[in-house]
Amino acid sequence: MAPDPNASGSGTTPSKEHKKKKDDKKEEDLSDEDLALKQQLELYVERVQDPDPGLQKAALESMRQEIRTSTSSMTSVPKPLKFLRPHYGTLKAYYETMKGSDLKKYLADILSVLALTMSAEGERESLKYRLLGSEGDIGSWGHEYVRNLAGEIAQEYAKRQDHCEHYDCEKIEQKENIQQTSDIQSSRELGIQEQTEEAPIDDLMELVQQIVAFHMKHNAEPEAVDLLMEVEDLDLLIEHVDKTNFKRTCLYLTSSARYLPGPDDMLVLDIAYMIYLKFEEYPNALQIALYLDNLQYVKQVFTSCDNLPRKKQFCYILARHGIIFDLDDDMVADDDDREALQDIINNTKLSEGYLTLARDIEVMEPKSPEDIYKAHLLDGRASAGASVDSARQNLAATFVNAFVNAGFGQDKLMTVPSDNTSTGSSANWLFKNKEHGKTSAAASLSMILLWDVDAGLAQIDKYFHLSDSHVIAGALLGVGIVNCGITNDCDPALALLGDYVDKEDPSIRIGAIMGLGIAYAGAQTDLVRSKLTRVLNDAKAPLDVIAFTAISLGLVYVGSCNEEVAQAIIFALMDRSESELADPLTRLLPLGLGLLYLGKQESVEATAEVSKTFNEKIKKYCDMTLLSCAYAGTGNVLKVQNLLGHCSQHLDKGETHQGPAVLGIAMVAMAEELGLEMAIRSLEHLLQYGEQNIRRAVPLALGLLCISNPKVNVMDTLSRLSHDTDSEVAMAAVISLGLIGAGTNNARIAGMLRNLSSYYYKDASLLFCVRIAQGLVHLGKGLLTLNPYHSERFLLSPTALAGIVTMLHACLDMKAIILGKYHYVLYFLVLAMQPRMLMTVDENLKPLSVPVRVGQAVDVVGQAGRPKTITGFQTHSTPVLLAAGDRAELATEKYIPLSPILEGFVILKENPDYREEN
Amino acid sequence: MGQAPSGGLNRPGGDRKHDDANKKEKKYEPAAPPSRVGRKQRKQKGPEAAARLPTVTPLSKCKLRLLKLDRIKDYLLMEEEFVANQERLKPQEEKNEEDRSKVDDLRGSPMSVGNLEELIDENHAIVSSSVGPEYYVGILSFVDKDQLEPGCAILMHNKVLSVVGLLQDEVDPMVSVMKVEKAPLESYADIGGLDAQIQEIKEAVELPLTHPELYEDIGIKPPKGVILYGEPGTGKTLLAKAVANSTSATFLRVVGSELIQKYLGDGPKLVRELFRVADDLSPSIVFIDEIDAVGTKRYDAHSGGEREIQRTMLELLNQLDGFDSRGDVKVILATNRMESLDPALLRPGRIDRKIEFPLPDIKTRRRIFQIHTSRMTLADDVNLEEFVMTKDEFSGADIKAICTEAGLLALRERRMKVTHADFKKAKEKVMFKKKEGVPEGLYM
Repeated sequence: MAPDPNASGSGTTPSKEHKKKKDDKKEEDLSDEDLALKQQLELYVERVQDPDPGLQKAALESMRQEIRTSTSSMTSVPKPLKFLRPHYGTLKAYYETMKGSDLKKYLADILSVLALTMSAEGERESLKYRLLGSEGDIGSWGHEYVRNLAGEIAQEYAKRQDHCEHYDCEKIEQKENIQQTSDIQSSRELGIQEQTEEAPIDDLMELVQQIVAFHMKHNAEPEAVDLLMEVEDLDLLIEHVDKTNFKRTCLYLTSSARYLPGPDDMLVLDIAYMIYLKFEEYPNALQIALYLDNLQYVKQVFTSCDNLPRKKQFCYILARHGIIFDLDDDMVADDDDREALQDIINNTKLSEGYLTLARDIEVMEPKSPEDIYKAHLLDGRASAGASVDSARQNLAATFVNAFVNAGFGQDKLMTVPSDNTSTGSSANWLFKNKEHGKTSAAASLSMILLWDVDAGLAQIDKYFHLSDSHVIAGALLGVGIVNCGITNDCDPALALLGDYVDKEDPSIRIGAIMGLGIAYAGAQTDLVRSKLTRVLNDAKAPLDVIAFTAISLGLVYVGSCNEEVAQAIIFALMDRSESELADPLTRLLPLGLGLLYLGKQESVEATAEVSKTFNEKIKKYCDMTLLSCAYAGTGNVLKVQNLLGHCSQHLDKGETHQGPAVLGIAMVAMAEELGLEMAIRSLEHLLQYGEQNIRRAVPLALGLLCISNPKVNVMDTLSRLSHDTDSEVAMAAVISLGLIGAGTNNARIAGMLRNLSSYYYKDASLLFCVRIAQGLVHLGKGLLTLNPYHSERFLLSPTALAGIVTMLHACLDMKAIILGKYHYVLYFLVLAMQPRMLMTVDENLKPLSVPVRVGQAVDVVGQAGRPKTITGFQTHSTPVLLAAGDRAELATEKYIPLSPILEGFVILKENPDYREEN
Repeated sequence: MGQAPSGGLNRPGGDRKHDDANKKEKKYEPAAPPSRVGRKQRKQKGPEAAARLPTVTPLSKCKLRLLKLDRIKDYLLMEEEFVANQERLKPQEEKNEEDRSKVDDLRGSPMSVGNLEELIDENHAIVSSSVGPEYYVGILSFVDKDQLEPGCAILMHNKVLSVVGLLQDEVDPMVSVMKVEKAPLESYADIGGLDAQIQEIKEAVELPLTHPELYEDIGIKPPKGVILYGEPGTGKTLLAKAVANSTSATFLRVVGSELIQKYLGDGPKLVRELFRVADDLSPSIVFIDEIDAVGTKRYDAHSGGEREIQRTMLELLNQLDGFDSRGDVKVILATNRMESLDPALLRPGRIDRKIEFPLPDIKTRRRIFQIHTSRMTLADDVNLEEFVMTKDEFSGADIKAICTEAGLLALRERRMKVTHADFKKAKEKVMFKKKEGVPEGLYM
């Protein structure tokens, strides 16, 4: 319903008189021209009220001229508008008495502009007169006017929506009301009002169309999008975008999506997807499809593009995201092509590319743990500890060696040629570890051969012939690690591991089960499920086997909401006896359940209900884990609030659910930069007020928030905590220092850890943590990252996150798990390992070296023109490394990248328009 | 080596060897000492850095910005809720109170203020009190050693003179005086004419602080500073006052001559402090009046004093457009000797806009007369037009002087109204003074 003009008229009169007094006083201050203008305008106002239509018309015409031609500085009111202010009331009153004609419309136009400065807040008179006036070109009155109008439309729309909802039943009553109040209005107006009642928003939408078109034409895409969001009609956008502005529009849409509540965000992304599709910007469309986790859309992208190199690029994007996707005939017709594409998705060439990068950067030379510890940089006493050949030291060295040389295929401990027995062959090093240490040692070999399935399996094979069950367990785990992220047609992992799952020896079983979990993470393979659920149902199976089975199932079915798996885990949880529930490993069962719903938001609710019936001991823990997993990576503020609420209680001893709650805050908030920084602040408070069990989890949460992204302030906090009097807090802080520096070779963190190693040189468990952290910092000699976010922090790889979260949950009880005999949970990190490179290849997928600029990424959302996207850049030639927050762009015109986001593998196409200079 | 390492270095090692026997105690070793002592480290750290909220892009007003700000607000609300809950459940105050009183006991009372001369090791330092000689004293454990640096002001125990605290106020008191606490009374309305100048200064100084999005929309960097120049008495300082009156930003004012200090290096230090404070309190406006006191052209100076002044200017140059970017700090300079300023000072990027203040033209003169006479009781015969139309060159200050003088003349004769004759006499008097003793109209 339009606002009541009577009320507004009487409302403004007193203020107007007040103004007039002021103006009188100021009269003499005016300069000559101003005075002339003022008088002129006053004359026009008088003439407008003249009965002669000719005079009227001329007056209106010249008034219009004055308003349009006036300019002013950015903040003050244009002069003609200022001088017309006192006459607004008179004009309005006259308007009401006018007969309907073109002139009346003319006057309405002018009133609409005048209302820009005059109308009281919330009156929306500008809009009212605009609707009454001649529907001329909206832009002719200037930007400010259009902007104001857009604002009023949004208000009006909200109000009308309100009406529709609340007063539908009272409609008749209202119509009477209207007739009462608008007695003095002309019949035409009444008509309009009734019309608006019947077709509530048609008239508005017409205006919206005009405004959007105007904004889109004048580089004001954000404003157009905002208006459409207000009137809930984003579909209109698709008609209005064109080649020049769709990128900016979509960028704005996608970055808004992170902050919009409820279903709106999906809608916005849908629109962005359609726009990208319309302009054939397929890689971006594909990314949105992946973000929405909508395989239908992914297929659509494949079917609507018919260019083979581009499809290859899509496959690279899919491979980086780590989802299993099968191409069919519709997507790629040709069999050979399809095979080639499927190869890319299966990541079979990852090892090759990684090694090319390593060769180019010249880091192929294997490094020994001593090269990482750099004990010679410390003064005196630290080296004394290293000389003692303790099992724990050797185990640490095993992990460091595995992390540092990950994927390089050679190292100085495990892969030394066997003829060189005098110095220490691989078997020798293996047997320098004790019992369960041998499991990790054997598995570390496969870490070194990561992604290289053929060579890896060949080398691991020798361990199967040994009789030591721990070594065999390690070999089984190794099979899984080598296959991590790689899909192979002949499924070697399942073939090799399948039989061992049902063996007697629990360590062998765990090895096989973990191997399956890592190798098939995210694959949702039925065969694996049937094998593993059988273990869960096995009443005789020990608790540790059950726990690892649950995790493996969670990994294989990560984010799938699979009912059957959920049922199996729930039954397994219910079957646990009271004493078993107290075991630290039990925490992996709820986590396995949670991983099934990773990022799936509401879908978790049914399971969460069921979890309420669990045993008292595990109920809350389960609840927290499910909640945090389900909303991981959503940035949902309400969930953060909920989790913070749980953290604010002070508990008796023995309750452990606050640990996952703290981790949950990090998991939910890591979605976007703002939430991330604010969550760091919140965690600071938790440190201040929290009890010990919260304090232990805070460093881990910080580690998750800034994984592979060494922020200075977080580094300082963790460094402080690493000297904490509570040794578990210190251990968590040390591990987190490793996580935030993972794969960065950050000298500052390395220095901190070195000092810590001498500080804790007598405390074997803390020293072990320091060593692990050192290994993480030099992960893959600085070529790898653990960050689950990729593609400019837009997409979240579910398997990567699942791997990290599993490892962090294990760290919640450091003493029992990582420092106990389950240290191999550290290998779950392999799921998150990805080379942090930009590798350019030509259309035949051969590496191609081109110059690129690499620099700090700049947020360019909502900026006009073509702003610089990176700052402080350096020019390198590919392949190059990208640090956290870095962005790359091609420094040559010779090639065109097939993906706008230069990360991972990017296919380059020759630019047909390129001309060599000179 | 032999005897060379001091006790301080050897001791921790020795302690640890003793510890070998009982491993438990190791946990309580003091944390490794901070590797650096000094100011550099402090700038980014501290509560300010931790409390700072993330920056929100884009700057232009749009829904995305609103949503992002909302998000920050949500988090802040949650923090508030959490802290309030905690305080309710487990009041920290009592505990804090207890600790505090314990620390106060250790500090003793009264305390004396001293100066830290040199840090010897972690726990010892050489200090000097304002009167006496220097002492070698201990530093109590609760003093934040990160913040101690040679030369800083410290609190000392009254008897044993050990360091028990340090005085936080690192802002030079000279700088804190420059902050304009009470806004001047002059507003834009008190300025006759100068419309173009007002607009220019608004665009260059006020708008970038209040509406940064306008500049981002267009895609330009807002100007960093302006220089106001023109004849004496044309309203440069008045305009600066009006800016101070109307802005809500921190306004720091300083006169060029204040930057010249007695001791070597004090001047540049003051400039640095000034801009650091401006940055801390940003958004802020720095107004330096009479910039020619330090900003004259460089030449081969022969006296140390001149060289020092030049160094002060070099520091100013660096602060205006140096390596560190200044965020929301705008600079207004004022001078009436534009031509003698160093060209480096005026180059675009440091001072982007040069605003000239001309002598008032006829229209402006009329306005100025109106402003000054508006509160005077004038006799009917007063014809201000006569003075307005005269060919003499008046500045705004001259006009004010004429009006005041006329008023005084009327006062002398105990009249309640100011007559035309008063104005005439006043004008002659003022012009006489201005032309240095040559009576008006003598050679006409």
